[in-house]
Amino acid sequence: MLADWWNYEFLRYTLFSGIIIGLIAPILGTFLIVRRLSMMADGLSHVTLSGVAFGMLISKKIAFFSVVNPLFFGMLFSVIGSLFIERLRKVYRAYQDLAIPIILSTGLGLFTVLVSIADGFNQDLYSYLFGSIVTVTFEDLLALLGVAVVVLGTMFLMYKELFAVSFDEEFARVSGVSRRTINLWFMVLVALTIAASMRIVGVLLISALITIPVAASLQIARSFKQAIIYAIVFAEISVLTGLYLAYMLNWASGGTIVLVAVIILLLVLGGKRLRAMLR
Amino acid sequence: MQKDIQQSSVISLDHVFFRYEDGKKVLEDITFHLNKGDFMGIVGPNGSGKSTLMKLILGLNVPSKGEINLFGQPLQKFKEWNKIGYVAQQAAHGASGFPATVREVVSSGLVGKVGMFRRLTAEHRQQVADVIERVGLSAKINERISNLSGGQLQRVFIARALVSEPELLILDEPTVGVDQESIQQFYELLRSLKDETGMTMVIVSHDVSVMMEWVNKVACLQRRLHFHGTTEEYEHNQEEIFRSMYGDSVRLLTHNH
Repeated sequence: MLADWWNYEFLRYTLFSGIIIGLIAPILGTFLIVRRLSMMADGLSHVTLSGVAFGMLISKKIAFFSVVNPLFFGMLFSVIGSLFIERLRKVYRAYQDLAIPIILSTGLGLFTVLVSIADGFNQDLYSYLFGSIVTVTFEDLLALLGVAVVVLGTMFLMYKELFAVSFDEEFARVSGVSRRTINLWFMVLVALTIAASMRIVGVLLISALITIPVAASLQIARSFKQAIIYAIVFAEISVLTGLYLAYMLNWASGGTIVLVAVIILLLVLGGKRLRAMLR
Repeated sequence: MQKDIQQSSVISLDHVFFRYEDGKKVLEDITFHLNKGDFMGIVGPNGSGKSTLMKLILGLNVPSKGEINLFGQPLQKFKEWNKIGYVAQQAAHGASGFPATVREVVSSGLVGKVGMFRRLTAEHRQQVADVIERVGLSAKINERISNLSGGQLQRVFIARALVSEPELLILDEPTVGVDQESIQQFYELLRSLKDETGMTMVIVSHDVSVMMEWVNKVACLQRRLHFHGTTEEYEHNQEEIFRSMYGDSVRLLTHNH
């Protein structure tokens, strides 16, 4: 059965995409969580969803757009949504988390309206919602790979700025770091990652993969770098185990991946408790 | 002549006013100069505008009126932020749960100096280790900051401010929540730094009696500057200053430690 993953092209794409998501989602997730923005992924994923619906609608109505992957509209909407969140966060300085429900509701509202305008889609919308292992195309994989290169490149070149801004915005500002640029760029990366990951884990579950492995890693990490590394390890285990189980049992891939991540989190919490008790 | 004075002064404020958008006046007509090597203590009751004044100097707030110069340059044009080290009021407060080590936090103090898109070199890492040793936390260098005491955490933030080798150090209530013994060590550290590097320092503290033993200049703030001068001048005119700040109804209570 394991050999299927190599023999069937679509499974190979799924596997590669899964590995890439398991790498970049927890990296961005670690920064999001320490900045208390863990809901951000939720907000943006709903905006992405409306973008995908828009892409499907436009390709249904206008023949020219039928060749454009709706994913790119998802990315576009997601990036616009992220810029909007940054803007709202500035307007409501004292209620910064207000930006997220606003953007989430907007995304979902737009999505339902677009779906009703289109009078249903023949493409499988369900796979965008919950993820599917059979719908990943080569184009999807390339888009994800592109996003991953940008995320990893940013981490290589701007890690210290991202750390400084996440740890203490005021100090970073006083050090001459352009906080606004860093924040904006980071949000764009989160938006792109969410959009590019949706085919495999699904829009509704991508935020889980961004946050749950990090939640587990924060329990045991002894440094910020370690927190990122453990989060990646947990995410990769979740993705690989989840994909395999989903294929074998014919379960929804996104849901299976998230459940494995939750089990890892519970094991880490339980293990920690056990260690404290044995001491 | 005027130019010479400007250049030797590290901080100079010229009739600076600050008010919030709703019109509430926070600072009025603040004028003072600070020369290289000075150690100035800023005192004043809660809400007297001390932190706001620090934020003005750091460019975090913009004055409604007046001019601020840093190292002889107008604040608006000032770019050499790595010349300034800053320890914020309760910097330790929100950060204590953050999953970072002493080394990681102190390294982040180099972010402005190293510059965008560059990575820390071996030399930078040595500087980080040296400054951590300087504040006496070498044994804790790889410890998560959540495992440190209040006094230790405060030293981490001082190390972060010092690692870029600033010429001006600004400390806003750095001793809040720190035990007496650590406060003593803290001031001793500042003094030895000052002796070695000739660093200029500004400290905001409500614990006036302890601070007075270490600073050479004092500024008394209560929306306006009610006094600024040397420590000796302050001690001579203490009663008068207090009357000016709090009104006649308040008697000066002296207490001996």
